[in-house]
Amino acid sequence: MRETAMQRQKTSSWLNIGSNFNTMTWVLIPVAIAINIAIGQIVVLLKLPVFLDSIGTVLVAALCGPWAGAVTGALSNTIWGLAIDPNALPWWPVAFFIGLVAGLCANAGLFKSWWKVVVTGFLVALTAATISTPIAVYLYGGITASGSSFITAYLLQTGQGVLQAVFSTSFLVEPVDKITTCMLAFAIVQGLSKRFVARFPRPENVEAEGGANQTQLYIAVGVVVLLVLFAAFMLRNVLGG
Amino acid sequence: MHERLSFYIKRDSALHHLNPLTKLTLVFGLVLISFLSPWYWTPHTLLMLVIIPLSFIGKVNREFFRAFLRLILPAASFLFLMQAFFQPIGGHVIFKIWFLDITQESLMFAFRNAIRIIVMVSSFTLFLLTTHPSELMSDLTRRGLPGQFAYVIISTLQILPQMQAKAQTIISAQRSRGLDTQSSFFRRVGSLGPLVGPLVFGSLVEVEERAIAIEARGFTSTHTKTSLYDIPDTNLDRTIRWILIALVILVIALKIWLS
Repeated sequence: MRETAMQRQKTSSWLNIGSNFNTMTWVLIPVAIAINIAIGQIVVLLKLPVFLDSIGTVLVAALCGPWAGAVTGALSNTIWGLAIDPNALPWWPVAFFIGLVAGLCANAGLFKSWWKVVVTGFLVALTAATISTPIAVYLYGGITASGSSFITAYLLQTGQGVLQAVFSTSFLVEPVDKITTCMLAFAIVQGLSKRFVARFPRPENVEAEGGANQTQLYIAVGVVVLLVLFAAFMLRNVLGG
Repeated sequence: MHERLSFYIKRDSALHHLNPLTKLTLVFGLVLISFLSPWYWTPHTLLMLVIIPLSFIGKVNREFFRAFLRLILPAASFLFLMQAFFQPIGGHVIFKIWFLDITQESLMFAFRNAIRIIVMVSSFTLFLLTTHPSELMSDLTRRGLPGQFAYVIISTLQILPQMQAKAQTIISAQRSRGLDTQSSFFRRVGSLGPLVGPLVFGSLVEVEERAIAIEARGFTSTHTKTSLYDIPDTNLDRTIRWILIALVILVIALKIWLS
């Protein structure tokens, strides 16, 4: 199994869907979905102001490739909808693109050190905000049942358009959540043995550059702060002050 | 089988005997019609005249109404209130609280949206109450869904309860060792590591063994697999499916024609 996986990598481009899936991928996906849901519930229990419900998706995307990540995301929301809360169903395209973008970033080498992972998280957050906006607007008329809708509601009252209000809300909430998600996924990958990682389709995606050490983590936290400040600044420009 | 996470309730009714694909078509048909219909009262009528009677036909009305009151209604009412207050549309102000005003238009808008969401969620609930997940998956696999997808869905439904039990054990174990899960914000963030770590690594360890096990049982084989169960697909099923598809197309055509 390992040899075939290694051979496939050499010829795989990001459009080569089949190369993302070997038996290890198919077995990892259910576990990843269960991780998504279980951690999502722990976070609710700890009353943290994030979702962290796509750690498993990002994990699969990094280890197996973008299409495997996309499948994990879409099925994750489907199963969440079928088994726990039917309200999660309409959001499956968001999860699909989270997996896809995380996988593309990992393929491009953005999953190898702490600060690169932060960039991945930021790109994933942008995608999630973009994809979730039309769903929130056309399905729910802009205001969904989640807590962050109070911000949307406030922006609507100040005379913003629905699209703008929804997008700026997700733009405020998503980066923190998705950057934390990606950093946790990276920490998990670093904790796995090389022998284990090598059995997945894309082990070269997650080889840490020069070891993932403490200093790098601090640099990464600095990058997060800068990105959030930059996002806030851009947002003010986009909305016209 | 008892460890599996599902809403399914075993009863003997006409709805239970329908082919899973027919029920799935029914769900999507109801959702599409309620979202695309050009008339204001369509979703309300569907809820009253189709979904609720169906729950009686399927003999799951008790469970359906329990789920309705506990899960669906609170979420929908919250949505209704948020939208009624915050949608800045319309001029007929009915009443005002501080800076929030409720207009006739926003009230109507919120009411229809809430009912649409109720139609969507409750028809899925009804589907899940009357269809066993493995029955659905065997039927879809027979119709050409790749076996891998069926494996992912069914095996997640099995892993999930085990994982949740494991998470509970880890939380209790770490608390008994003095982990703080209730006090200040930074303490709670700090306690994420000792909870998530063991859970994730513990479950990833099993992946490799399981991969070897299912590989040995012909998981990657491309030959057609035979099924132990036979799921009936009658003429009635086929007729219902075609009628539903025709209805959806009719509604879309009406929507385009009337707008």
